[in-house]
Amino acid sequence: MEPTREPHATLVDLLDRLLDKGLVIHADIIISVAGIPLIGVNLRAALAGMETMLEYGLLKDWDQRSRSWETEHRKSLAVPLEEGEEVVLKVFGSYYYSEGIYTAWRSGWLYLTKNRMFLYHRDFGESLFETPLDKIRALDVRVERSFTGKDREILYLLLQGGSIARLAVLDTGELKERIVDTMNGRGAQLEDGRIIDDYEERAITFLEKDETVKCRGKMWHLVRDKSVLGDTWKPGYLYLTNKRLCWWYEFERRVLFESPLERINASVAEIRDLSRVLKQKQVLDVIYSKNGSKEVASFSAKETQEWQDALNKAIAREGSINAEEKTETCPRCGREELEGTLLKDGCAKCGWVSPRLKKRIPNVLKA
Amino acid sequence: MEEHKRVITSQGDSMTQKGLYLYCITEAFEKLDLSNMGVDDNRVYTIGYKDLVAVVHDCPAAAYDSKDRELVKKWVMAHQGVVEHVWERSGTVVPFSFDTIIRGEESITAEQNLIKWLETDYGRLKEALDKVRGRAEYGVQIFWDPKIMADKIVEDVPEIKKLHDEMKSKPAGAAYLYEEKLKSLVRKEMEKRADNYFKQFYREIRSEVDDMKVDRAKKTDNNLQMIMNLSCLVIKEEAKGLGEVLDGLDSREGVCVRFTGPWPPYSFVGA
Repeated sequence: MEPTREPHATLVDLLDRLLDKGLVIHADIIISVAGIPLIGVNLRAALAGMETMLEYGLLKDWDQRSRSWETEHRKSLAVPLEEGEEVVLKVFGSYYYSEGIYTAWRSGWLYLTKNRMFLYHRDFGESLFETPLDKIRALDVRVERSFTGKDREILYLLLQGGSIARLAVLDTGELKERIVDTMNGRGAQLEDGRIIDDYEERAITFLEKDETVKCRGKMWHLVRDKSVLGDTWKPGYLYLTNKRLCWWYEFERRVLFESPLERINASVAEIRDLSRVLKQKQVLDVIYSKNGSKEVASFSAKETQEWQDALNKAIAREGSINAEEKTETCPRCGREELEGTLLKDGCAKCGWVSPRLKKRIPNVLKA
Repeated sequence: MEEHKRVITSQGDSMTQKGLYLYCITEAFEKLDLSNMGVDDNRVYTIGYKDLVAVVHDCPAAAYDSKDRELVKKWVMAHQGVVEHVWERSGTVVPFSFDTIIRGEESITAEQNLIKWLETDYGRLKEALDKVRGRAEYGVQIFWDPKIMADKIVEDVPEIKKLHDEMKSKPAGAAYLYEEKLKSLVRKEMEKRADNYFKQFYREIRSEVDDMKVDRAKKTDNNLQMIMNLSCLVIKEEAKGLGEVLDGLDSREGVCVRFTGPWPPYSFVGA
């Protein structure tokens, strides 16, 4: 076995060493707070999301593949500026890339020149995103929350043809201003009052015909697993459509939970501990019927109350349309009665009672 | 990105406002031009004391701190880049962890402070250099697949196997109780095995390395479980033997080994 230090696969290993190890000076001559060197909490937090993104399963052929990919892409390292092209602004930034099955924030140097803007990845000599300034129709800055719970500003670009690009840089305001200035300098204009739609990062492929999304949002879902590993909370997106409630597992890119609205009995929002670590979290429990038995699906996010309201409204509407509850015939006299009433109260005509209820009576009497 | 948040911890005259960012300590060697390869594109240079050399750059007396992941990543990679470069040239380094910054004091510059420290800790630094001379650090992480292990345990342990077979013929309610019991037995057995594997693997690896540190096993994102997380100090030319031992472990059913490095000896220069 040969050791690897392929940067994509070993960043976590490097960080573990660089941030937590190395020579420590036990002296008051270094910058520290209360004796604790200042590396740390913040840097760790900034890098935390990245660590979880990097997987440990070092599959040998994957490693091989990414290595050959790297050599192939590391061809030209010069920034592809045209002759005489003037750089207005160069900042480190990232672009939300989503094509095919691969989506990610990809980062590099963002160059704003007099006539175009592009994000260049120096190590791979590759432009990750490029647009002529004349094609920008509208700009907007929005605050988005990532799964790590951190808010950050995202610059939305509406491009000619209606596509939306998202960029993240440290100073979003400055970038926006400079783009507008440069465009004005060229006599290019943004469309007045043009509103950019929400970015739909997932092509929603699971909708049926006539199915429309009513609500959607990031939600953690308790995924049941019968194996030794047990149940685990996983991140994804909850969708309420006019037909069903379903949860999309982003990592596997498929629907892991779904229930038609008419099978949903109730939803309850409450605050409880999810594990020893995750305490006092907002949880939405959805009670639904599946194969004749009641099941509970649990979700967690900040907006559980809103979801509860939306869901209960949706199932109330559903209930009024689908009022016809299942009917059943009395096993003794054959009279037709609502299934629930028959099982609970017995038959009103002949006095038949469900055997389940009969058993219970003597028990109660004995006590 | 020239601007970033810096935590100002000291205020006062110019002496206390200037700091020195430390990358590593090495032994005197040919003059190096490290130009602007430092953290935040700073110029990297060396400060010597006797035969020791500290690799540094000038900076304000404040820690590098930012919430911007890409920026932090860039800094960390730059730190590593410098250490790596010096390591390649001189063969031996004692690396500092990221963000180790020496500050000045009233009437003492950061540089004087650094030299004073090199003088006081000279013996300790020489020892550290001796320990890692000609050696590299390798990361070894051993994972197993709990599903495969659980299946193996069911097959291997007669008592569990019996329970497992009985469960199949039970009605749903009883089967549930069986399953719970089975789960707890399997879990106990797994812990026992992980413990045994750990001891056995430890011995096998230990015989191939100069020194090793056991780090905390980490959580993984996939369905593998990390049962061992090691840093190994190995004489540079002798990593092959370790690789061979790891091949042996990796070929066991349900076991998977990650072998990374060579890294500068970050884990073997601390206290």
